[in-house]
Amino acid sequence: MPAKELNKPCMDCKNAEFELIVRQRQLCSSCFRRFIAHKVQSRLSVYRAFGLDGPRNQLLLPVSFGVSSSVLLHILYADRQARLSNGRPLGYDFHILVIEPSTVAATGSPFDKNYKALQKNFPMPAITRIPFYSIFDYVPEMQEIMKEYGGPQFTDDSSRSNGERLAAFRASISTATSKTDIDTILLTRLVAEFAKKSGCESVIWGDSDSRLAAKALAGVAKGRGASLTWQVSDGISPWGVRFEYPLRDLFKAELLQYESVCAELSDIIVPDQPPSDNVLTKNLSIDELMLRYVQNQGAKYPGVMANVARTANKLNPSTSGSAPTCALCAGLLGNVTGNSGVTVANQAEDNHSSQFCYGCMRSRPGELC
Amino acid sequence: MAPTPCFNCKEARAVIIRPKNRHKLCRACFINIFETEVHETITGANLFFRGERVAIGASGGKDSTVLAAVLKTLNERYDYGLDLCLLSIDEGIRGYRDDSLETVKRNAVQYEMPLKILGYSELYGWTMDQVVQQVGKKGNCTYCGVFRRQALDRGAGRLGIQHVVTGHNADDVAETVMMNLLRGDLPRLSRGTSIVTASDASDIKRSKPLKYAYEKEIVLYAHHRQLDYFTTECIYSPEAFRGSARTLIKDLEKIRPSSILDIVKSGEDMAALVPTGVSGSGKQMAGAAEDESAGGCGSGNGRTSGGEMAAMEKQLTENDAAESRETEIKISNGGRAIRGPTGKAVKAQTLKHCERCNYISSQRICKACTLLDGLNRNRPKTAIEVSVGMEDEEASSTLMRQMERAQLSAT
Repeated sequence: MPAKELNKPCMDCKNAEFELIVRQRQLCSSCFRRFIAHKVQSRLSVYRAFGLDGPRNQLLLPVSFGVSSSVLLHILYADRQARLSNGRPLGYDFHILVIEPSTVAATGSPFDKNYKALQKNFPMPAITRIPFYSIFDYVPEMQEIMKEYGGPQFTDDSSRSNGERLAAFRASISTATSKTDIDTILLTRLVAEFAKKSGCESVIWGDSDSRLAAKALAGVAKGRGASLTWQVSDGISPWGVRFEYPLRDLFKAELLQYESVCAELSDIIVPDQPPSDNVLTKNLSIDELMLRYVQNQGAKYPGVMANVARTANKLNPSTSGSAPTCALCAGLLGNVTGNSGVTVANQAEDNHSSQFCYGCMRSRPGELC
Repeated sequence: MAPTPCFNCKEARAVIIRPKNRHKLCRACFINIFETEVHETITGANLFFRGERVAIGASGGKDSTVLAAVLKTLNERYDYGLDLCLLSIDEGIRGYRDDSLETVKRNAVQYEMPLKILGYSELYGWTMDQVVQQVGKKGNCTYCGVFRRQALDRGAGRLGIQHVVTGHNADDVAETVMMNLLRGDLPRLSRGTSIVTASDASDIKRSKPLKYAYEKEIVLYAHHRQLDYFTTECIYSPEAFRGSARTLIKDLEKIRPSSILDIVKSGEDMAALVPTGVSGSGKQMAGAAEDESAGGCGSGNGRTSGGEMAAMEKQLTENDAAESRETEIKISNGGRAIRGPTGKAVKAQTLKHCERCNYISSQRICKACTLLDGLNRNRPKTAIEVSVGMEDEEASSTLMRQMERAQLSAT
């Protein structure tokens, strides 16, 4: 028997008015948060397998001030606080990494306000903020790699600051697709190297299901199909740290719903720019095109889009452990084991004598297309 | 503005910008490079052996016409020693096939190759027009695709030929990769990109020598060699997943022209990464039987009817709902299963022969016979008994005449 007289009771607790509809269920905000948190926790439960006395795993949570990673932070933090106050074992702990967004996208002032709010609302023992150009510190050979990769289009001036040198390198890449592609690679690499240096076993990425679907489609379109096994699937990355995507069962729309019932997040999240309608398709990046595609189609067929990421998650990681890998993105050079003879990779003019993989060669400065 | 010289020979005036890499080429160099690339594909994959009899699946469209022209040229230039012939399927779509079959007949004369035309009504007792009348416009590509696949094999069988080449181009292969990813179809993802689909189970080997050729370059080649081909689009709309993938690929090509080959590259890599339980030893065989079985016909313009996507959406939502109801049970033994490839659940396929028609199939009854069952169930009694006969009341007399003529020219 319900405890209170309610007009529209929550379908779970029947003890409060429902506020949100998620997956055809009407829930109050606390039941909704529990539902979302459960989806995340079950993905990470493997890190709790050791129980009470086992070693505590350290995970790295990169936060971009976007909706998804901030919601993930909220969920993990709430769980952590609940465990600490109940005296239950943590099982794992996490380290927050912020790559200062103003050093990634050239948009005016640093995000000090957001960072301060993050420190205030989520006072974790380990929070680090680093600039994008610290990739030169975390990957000492990066200068050489960039010089080799940039070719004649890019001249490195070692007398300039790291920030300027990174900006020069990024400016040498011509198309929107290549820019996004290379930025993602460098960011991923920086996060992975940071995780390694700070003793984290895994990186937990805040990619929503929609985002993973777009990433899978874009990866395929950019010739990076072989890298999906760690860019979209949960798996070991080429840098030896595991990549986990605990938000893979949640749609972007659901994360936005979650944000709407969490006041603590409003000072931290930088809202997404609404997609502009007057951009010609040919000026979009492939990543953006796919994101739009997944959003448009996802409005009508959310399950079909979700299934894309699930399909990619079923691929086996490549078995060629000792095979040479790309100096930039650590993807495989040439073909996956089992492919030989006539393949696209074998036919590509730039296939031989390169230390960069097929996908990276497509994004190279001066590449016509 | 001074004319740009050809990127390749540096002499003649460039008249073509290659869609693939934007090189500016003269007419002769373009034709030569295009042919050489197909030659490299053929020799690299050891597609043919000397003296092999090869049937070219010919529709009268640009792809198969270019394939026939290139194969004839290469066969003479590099002395492959092939015995080539044309094999056409008449789906029975009024206004679509009549003219294109005329083109195939002219091609047969131009390339001095024998021609065999085989009709759906002859093979299945149903023309596509009749199928559409029965099932409506949604999902009819499934019928067409399934029927055509078998029709080519059976036609080749009748001619005593073991190898059928089709005009599938890079765009088609890329489309199939994207489509199978959207559909979540791992078994097809593992075999959709292979250039040859052959098996011990089937006598007929299939290959796609134009697998790496851009659709746009095929059009250019046909134009500059002034080939006689028929331009038309199937009047029935393509299947929704293929349509969706097609639209996506057209957009991708605008952004980055190399993306068609990039998708094929990804497809080749992913094919090797599909868990073995799925692709299995039957990988190649399944390809022969069922590749593109639910696919469209490689024409059309990406209109989406949405029926298939909506159906899959419904199915997935139901699965999801069912899964959420069983959450409690999963937690108790879940945990570790998330890690590693062992925890990844996948469906396996095994290959058998269809009990009705003996065609290779992963099911007891092959797809074509299943579809035919559905069709025949709703047909007036008189027609059921003559499912493969020429007596079919609706087989047009024009078609029969065409058939007779084709048989004459084939012999």
